[in-house]
Amino acid sequence: MSTALEPALSVRQVLTLDRVLAGEPEVVAGAGHLDRPVRWVHVAEAPDVGVMLSGGEMVLTTGVLLAGDVEKQAEYIRSLHRAEAAAVVLGLGRAFPTPPDVMRRAAERCGLPLVVLHRPFPFAELTEEVQSRLVRRKFAAVSLSESVRTALTGLITAGAPLQRLLDEIAVHAACPVVLTNLAHRVLATAGERSAVDDVLRDWERIARQAGGSEGDGWVRAELGGRGERWGRIVLCGYRGDSPIGRLLAERAAEALVLHRMLGGPAHSWEEQSAQGLLTDLVSGVVPARQLLPRARAAGLPVNRRTFVPLVVRDGEPAGLDRVLRLLGLSGLVADLADGATAILLSLARDQDAEALTAHFAARLRTESGTLGTVVAAADARTAWEDVPAGLREARHVADAVAAHSAAQDLPAVVRLKDVHLRGLIRLLRDDPHVQSFAERELDGLLCGRHAEQELLPVLRTYLATGRNKSRTAQLHHVSRPALYRRLEAIQALLGVDLDDFEQAASVHIALLAHDAQQG
Amino acid sequence: MSRVVRAAVFQTAWTGDKESMIQVHEQAVRDAAAQGAEVLCFQELFYGPYFCQVQDPAFYEYAERIPDGPVVKRFQALAKELGIVLVLPMYEEEQPGVLYNTAAVIDADGSYLGKYRKTHIPQVKGFWEKFYFRPGNSGWPVFDTKAGRIGVYICYDRHFPEGWRALGLAGAEIVFNPSATSRGLSGYLWQLEQPAAAVANEYFVGAINRVGVEELGDNDFYGTSYFVDPEAQFVGEVASDKETELVVRDLDLAKLREVRDRWQFYRDRAPGAYRPLTAP
Repeated sequence: MSTALEPALSVRQVLTLDRVLAGEPEVVAGAGHLDRPVRWVHVAEAPDVGVMLSGGEMVLTTGVLLAGDVEKQAEYIRSLHRAEAAAVVLGLGRAFPTPPDVMRRAAERCGLPLVVLHRPFPFAELTEEVQSRLVRRKFAAVSLSESVRTALTGLITAGAPLQRLLDEIAVHAACPVVLTNLAHRVLATAGERSAVDDVLRDWERIARQAGGSEGDGWVRAELGGRGERWGRIVLCGYRGDSPIGRLLAERAAEALVLHRMLGGPAHSWEEQSAQGLLTDLVSGVVPARQLLPRARAAGLPVNRRTFVPLVVRDGEPAGLDRVLRLLGLSGLVADLADGATAILLSLARDQDAEALTAHFAARLRTESGTLGTVVAAADARTAWEDVPAGLREARHVADAVAAHSAAQDLPAVVRLKDVHLRGLIRLLRDDPHVQSFAERELDGLLCGRHAEQELLPVLRTYLATGRNKSRTAQLHHVSRPALYRRLEAIQALLGVDLDDFEQAASVHIALLAHDAQQG
Repeated sequence: MSRVVRAAVFQTAWTGDKESMIQVHEQAVRDAAAQGAEVLCFQELFYGPYFCQVQDPAFYEYAERIPDGPVVKRFQALAKELGIVLVLPMYEEEQPGVLYNTAAVIDADGSYLGKYRKTHIPQVKGFWEKFYFRPGNSGWPVFDTKAGRIGVYICYDRHFPEGWRALGLAGAEIVFNPSATSRGLSGYLWQLEQPAAAVANEYFVGAINRVGVEELGDNDFYGTSYFVDPEAQFVGEVASDKETELVVRDLDLAKLREVRDRWQFYRDRAPGAYRPLTAP
């Protein structure tokens, strides 16, 4: 961490300062090492200056004590190299009219940048300039570190979700920010949408660059605690100085670790990531095409695949994910709203989607130990753009199943065709024509007094039992004469004859539509 | 011209007894076949605990004859029924007192193709294998299966590049490396050595490791089984480090030719200069 806070100018940056340029600097050795950080600038004429250094210094000298002694000159350079000095600047004129060849060769061998000033100026001007810049940088770094830490800690203590934290990090970094697990699966992103999409589009290739270099602005920090690593945060294409980028990434990593530890294991980041993606897909707010890079980065195979949208009611995502792993099926699992869990399977094109769905549903029953688990399935989709409609269809089927009185008798996989009229009504429940039809047909019962509303369950049972009066009376614990009176009241209120098949069917459909509205 | 093989590996935790362990693996064969997998390899000593955490002769009874023992017979029938190639890493008794750490290879028609016996046997804390196994004497067989030319290199073998190379020279296209290896010991090598072997020898590698902590010791087996291609790229994701998982992946064997044409390691190797490697 101290490295990130260490402010530094590179040798190259020092050489481009106006004050230095005026001295006509020339790099005569070690030109390949100009990106070394300069931690301090030190004026020293002593021949044994090496022993006074602690590394990272740019040493300024006139060489006045070295002139005429080539052995001393070479040893001077070697001692600076041993002391890990950043560079040595030699003012020409006093001791050396031209760059001394021995020092140049020694510096080249050690890889120590040797810079000569053709128009030397008082060294004090340079030390003052560089030192004040270093101090300003150090102050800026400490101040940035503190402000980022304060902002992130504030968010964590306020109970902010992961995404909010990442958004804040992205504001400070001014570049896309990606959170991944150890398998390089993208769990969350933040930053400007189009820039994030560009990063995700190429994620496979980027993720494979183990370690990666920071020179290109990719700054990574590991997330972990209690001896275990969980993932990493990546600033993608950070444009500022790399020490500041590292500092930001480290502050971000600390905050994310804290967030995860405080958040507990209720919903893993993997689950939250899948949930965000599947919820966006179902809602249709973001076009499916735009979600494709996110799906790919989340580990879902998407090239030349068949997608099978499934929904299970009262399923538990971790348990469903376990069964997928057991069967070796690729897929995303996440809770949608209202107790529905969506599963998006990704199969190879040559695989039999129906057979594998049946296999999954059967194994789900044996593995979960609940024989009644029903998997609501939509038809498989080969086009990614059709996936949202498929997920919505599967959810409609699951809803229809939930409303089904005899759900326990259903097969392990249920499709739209299996839920018959209920499925149709579910699909059409948002249609205003269907809504007004239900209102119209049931008006007398729905708008009446409390006593009249109590007739609704009687009507529901009567129709569900196939107009079986004795069964209805039994289920409602009333005598048959009492039931007859209630049925007469219902018929009078609705103005229908329930013995007439068409009229009874119409009321039945209206009731299903009404129930679908409520569910 | 692509030639895709759908290959699978299976990692799981010790159930507590041999029969239920076998049943878990039978189910895995069915699950793999349901997905159209053409070949499946299990973890090292698949139907037992990793008993080498202790040195106890009671575990000798886990050894079976290959191919005449009941486990091989049982999986031959299953391979035939489902049309899938199986690699069964198991404890082999050649005769009483002559025991090996072996993998039997069954073709998709149920026929027994042969076996590989683990060559390098470790003897370190938690991995007391010399107590149980003789070093293998099978050489470096490669099996011509319906799913391609398959080699097996078992667990500790993977630290020795020579065997990987011998399998490559014998024409292996996919080499399975069934293992039992624990978190503290080899975690940092697990995603390094096999990908390196895949690159050096220009073939696919399927690496399998069991999961969980067993009653015989503290070894925390970390799973994370995977397939890796001849460019050292993982094929799909790496498996869980804690859960039972079947890994099914499509391997395009055309990549093997593509990579070999690019690099030509087999052309440029210099066997004449390798004599010191075989000096005793």
